[in-house]
Amino acid sequence: MLPEYILMNNQVLVSELNKKLPGDIAMWFFILAELTVFALFFIGFAVTEQLNQEMFALGKAKLHAGAGLVNTIALITSSLFVAFAVTAVKSKKFKQSVQWLIIAQCFAVVYLVVKGWEYQSLFAQGIDIETNTFFTLYFLITLFHFMHVLLGMVILAYIMVRTNKGDYQQDVAGFESGACYWHMVDMLWIILFPLIYVI
Amino acid sequence: MLMNKKQSLVSWTVLILLTLLSVYIGKVFDQPAIFITCVLLIVFLKGQQIVDVFMELKHAPKRWRLLIMSYVLLVPFVLLIIYIL
Repeated sequence: MLPEYILMNNQVLVSELNKKLPGDIAMWFFILAELTVFALFFIGFAVTEQLNQEMFALGKAKLHAGAGLVNTIALITSSLFVAFAVTAVKSKKFKQSVQWLIIAQCFAVVYLVVKGWEYQSLFAQGIDIETNTFFTLYFLITLFHFMHVLLGMVILAYIMVRTNKGDYQQDVAGFESGACYWHMVDMLWIILFPLIYVI
Repeated sequence: MLMNKKQSLVSWTVLILLTLLSVYIGKVFDQPAIFITCVLLIVFLKGQQIVDVFMELKHAPKRWRLLIMSYVLLVPFVLLIIYIL
């Protein structure tokens, strides 16, 4: 029984040692920092909503839930193509990887256009960041996320250029880091969408 | 381990269906507590798909996976407490 037990534990140890964190560890610390900041925003929004229920209900009624839904689908789909790009670059299909990243960027542009349209339609109704507490938080949180989408797009463009140059022939950690950042942007929207548009 | 494209596609389908479900259940449940619980449970399930499949943390060291997974569990849980209490 004892040798079997030891063997089993060794296998578990070896299997754990073989596991690798995708991307660079520094990017993961950056991701953790970003997630923490957004968690504070989410909790702050929910607490303020509980203290100003009527104002938040009226504010949410003025938002376009359809636009939020389209943006959710756009970001999820963009993440899918980034995941395809990671698979392609690991299989040394660099040209295909760049193509997937271009499609991913196109869906990110859909997000930017829809969000821009949504802001524009609120401004047209005379609503801005100073209207009330709900819209202050709405603009702060969604604009902060919008900036993260822009940064994510810059990172995706950077890894696209590097893939095109053939920089990921040996090590794909940089590529994975960029992809994981993009998935984090998607993950944040997945919490943000129900919090602002659905609940 | 190379991520399976088929697995990503399955995850994408699950994510889209869960998104549509979270919008739909708002029209089905009258009681806010049940509705909010369902929506936040869906947030956790969607987060889990992104962490495990898109971020590929299913094959990462256990501690890192648990760390990121705890975020998609704890944040909706805290939000649930705030909304329900």
